Amino acid sequence: MHRLLARQIRQATDETGQVDLTRLGELVGGAYEESDRDRRRTDRAITLMIEELEQTHKRAEQDLLRAREFLDSIIENIPIAVFAKDARDSRYVLLNRAGEEYYGMPREEMLGKTPEEIFPRDIARVVSEQDRRVVDSGTPMFLEGHLLEVGVNGHDRLVNSRKLLVRDGNGAPQYLVGVIEDVTERITNEARISHLAHHDALTDLPNRSAFNAALDVRLERAQEASTSFAVLSLDLDRFKEVNDVFGHPVGDLLMRAAADRLAAEADGAFVARVGGDEFMILMPDDVRRETALTLAERLVEVIGKELEVDDYLSQVGVSVGIAVYPDDGVDAATLLANADSALYRAKREGRGRVCFFESEMDRELRDRRLLQHDLRQALEQNQLLVYFQPQARMDGEVIGFEALLRWNHPTRGFVPPDQFIPLAEENGLIIQIGEWVLREACREAASWPRPLQVAVNLSPVQFQAGDLERAIHQILLETGLAPTRLEVEITEGVLIGDFARALNLLRRLKALGIRIAMDDFGTGYSSLSYLQSFPFDKIKIDRSFISNLEATPQSAEIVRAVLSLAHALNIPVVAEGVETEAQRAFLEREACEEMQGYLVGRPDQIERYLALIGVAVERRLYA
Amino acid sequence: MHIQYLHWNAAHGWRGANARREPAQLVLYFGNRPGLAGGARYRELRDRYPDSHIIGCSTGGQIHGDDISDDEIVAVALHFARTRVRVVNEVVESREGSRACGARLARQASAADLAGLFVLSDGLSVNGGELLAGITEVLGPDLPVTGGLAGDGMQFEQTLVGADGEPSPNRVAAIGFYGASFRFAHGCAGGWDVFGPRRKVTKSEGPVVIELDGEPPLDLYTRYLGEEEAAAMPGSGLAFPLRIHDEAEPHRQIVRSVFAVDRNAGTLTFAADIPQGCTAQLMRANFDSLAAGAGEAGRQARSALADGIEGDKLAILVSCTGRRRVMGQRTQDELDAVAAELGDDVVRVGFYSYGEIAPPSASSRCELHNQTMTVTVIAEAAA
Repeated sequence: MHRLLARQIRQATDETGQVDLTRLGELVGGAYEESDRDRRRTDRAITLMIEELEQTHKRAEQDLLRAREFLDSIIENIPIAVFAKDARDSRYVLLNRAGEEYYGMPREEMLGKTPEEIFPRDIARVVSEQDRRVVDSGTPMFLEGHLLEVGVNGHDRLVNSRKLLVRDGNGAPQYLVGVIEDVTERITNEARISHLAHHDALTDLPNRSAFNAALDVRLERAQEASTSFAVLSLDLDRFKEVNDVFGHPVGDLLMRAAADRLAAEADGAFVARVGGDEFMILMPDDVRRETALTLAERLVEVIGKELEVDDYLSQVGVSVGIAVYPDDGVDAATLLANADSALYRAKREGRGRVCFFESEMDRELRDRRLLQHDLRQALEQNQLLVYFQPQARMDGEVIGFEALLRWNHPTRGFVPPDQFIPLAEENGLIIQIGEWVLREACREAASWPRPLQVAVNLSPVQFQAGDLERAIHQILLETGLAPTRLEVEITEGVLIGDFARALNLLRRLKALGIRIAMDDFGTGYSSLSYLQSFPFDKIKIDRSFISNLEATPQSAEIVRAVLSLAHALNIPVVAEGVETEAQRAFLEREACEEMQGYLVGRPDQIERYLALIGVAVERRLYA
Repeated sequence: MHIQYLHWNAAHGWRGANARREPAQLVLYFGNRPGLAGGARYRELRDRYPDSHIIGCSTGGQIHGDDISDDEIVAVALHFARTRVRVVNEVVESREGSRACGARLARQASAADLAGLFVLSDGLSVNGGELLAGITEVLGPDLPVTGGLAGDGMQFEQTLVGADGEPSPNRVAAIGFYGASFRFAHGCAGGWDVFGPRRKVTKSEGPVVIELDGEPPLDLYTRYLGEEEAAAMPGSGLAFPLRIHDEAEPHRQIVRSVFAVDRNAGTLTFAADIPQGCTAQLMRANFDSLAAGAGEAGRQARSALADGIEGDKLAILVSCTGRRRVMGQRTQDELDAVAAELGDDVVRVGFYSYGEIAPPSASSRCELHNQTMTVTVIAEAAA
């Protein structure tokens, strides 16, 4: 009997053993209903579950399909060749678009075929061997940056390729999957970037960091092998002027041409461009000083030749400083500093020179700094003086003076202006000093009984910085000097640079009544174009032409030309450096208006020229 | 340990256990809600056992021996020779306060020689999972904790718990057993199988599931139960509990059954939190698998019980109301299966609950279960 039925009979039996059939019927009926309900619920659940699972399955299939399409489109469109082969016989079963390009044939010609049926025999053998190796070992194959063995892009392409084995559910080899990436561009780009990091973009010469690295290597080698070598520091002369006058595009072309010449001449040496117009050359080991000198002199000669750049004929020069390891320094910093001070000396001795480093240069450099330091105190301690040099008509009548700055150093004595004025211009002190000279000259001139001219030189730096116009105006008011008695002398350096600003300033000064003279005429670049831009009141012919008047016929011709040009433009001319009667006679013949020089009088304190300015000696002395 | 068994019915009142050899420290009783409401039964027990701790709860059916009854109240009075017993209780103010309530309860019971804790909790207004988290927080994961949530038949309206007082709603009580002689063995198993596709809990708030795979969960249950049976939700929903897959603990067996229905919103409330985003799968069982599951719980408890026991052994069976609902007249089969595993020498009482508390097999940390049979065996070792 079923356990349940027995239980039901027991429940339907009373204490006397009587079975209540109605109760039993209820229990049994209830049990049937429970079973039916459970069966119905089960049937229902199974049916629903099947439906749901079918839906889920369908959804999963669709998801799978979508995922496959998604992956297919990725594989089809990535710019890397992808292929798959049957692992058993190497027949191609998949090839993407990049793969077609790589192999240079449509996939229809490759799918279903073995390498032997597709490629030439020697290539097919390599491919099949690789396939076998991957299948037999089960380990992937990676090849990086190797020259490709097949493909239409040519054998100069570099590729990364990898092949790996895909196994089926039972672990048996099923597919060989391969990717081939063309990395030619990447590798050349990497090389290019590395080149750019170590080379100057304009000239393609090694840059400063490359030079420093090369110098370090050279130093190490020289220390080990006890050899010597030379470091050359070069600076193009007049390059900045070319840049300013012709503009940067022409400057760039010139720089490239100069760099090419340097590199061509310095064969075997390491040539680097380390700054705007600065180069360094590292000479080979065990070079004798004479060899370094020979090279340097050859470079000066070659660079100094005229360069034709973009229809312009330009001329730059080069100055060279040389330091030799180990005599002039055993570490990079010292060698470079000493080559630089040799270069400085070369430039100072007149451009286009070659100088070896000498220990005295070290002292000179220190001395220069000391001088710069002293100059700061010179103004406060009244070490600066203004000298006056007379200017006269050709008949000898003095019409004015040029004010000239002098520095009487307490221990050095008089320091030449061409030594300390560049220093003052370098550190900007020239602005203060220039104003002081102007004030002194104006005050002095204002005190003269005779209303003579006073000429004052202005530095380009004064035009670039500070408020020159306001300063001059202020000084004229202070001293009471009539503006028409003041003449300012400028060189073309004033106009190089911010031409428009300088011109504007000159016009405003002229509007005050001040006269403007063009100084050092004939030594610069394009004085003629400046004459066109501004109505100068006077032109001063440079002393170099006058002193050579007797010696070289060209100088006389130049002076004659300048004079006729000035006369045509209605501009009076002053000749500087007139020392002899013959020079004066020549100039008078050529109708030069004025002169200045030892023939008239040398620069001196104004006390020497009291008579000329109309002061009785006694009055001056005892007033 | 010595056990006195007694029961109450409307016709005869309390019967059994007249011979009081030694005073009982603990009286444990189970009855249906109408039978316990009002407190008359508790007061009668208190008269009989003025010095004992008396603890009990409402159920979805009482178990005594091989029988299940709905109307009778069953009780056991226990005398321990070498075990101290304490009864503690707390009122849970809100569902959100469940964890704090558990912690308070555990702190009351905590002692160095605490050997086991048996918890009886309100079955509707407590978040069982949080309650146990609070208890474990204080007592640590290794102290054995078992018990169950009180039931209310198929009404799901109100459940009662009493601890040294008249039974009332919102109460959580526990018996602490202290001393080295106390033996506490337990087993827990279900017998349910997952079926159908895995579903995503796309929206849930605490124990309320708002969307399953983007649709109201009531729709799913209505489809599976049929319109007619669905009308009897939440009771009929017990036929299809949910297996919850927790990504963080993939091997943890979490089964949750429906406790309340919002027919307007189409949402279902489960016995504990169901995290949004987790995966759920329907479960089902047949009579035989449920009975086999119960037998497994009995086997675990019996094999966990050490030798050298002196005196009586009591098995407290806490089985899910959902199981009884599914098995109907065959419910007896699961009791038979437990009995067969435990053997004749173990006295069995228990109840059908709204949630079972026991560590799952292969773990010591107690958890809240639905749709399981849990068996707790208590005894004392020989001196």
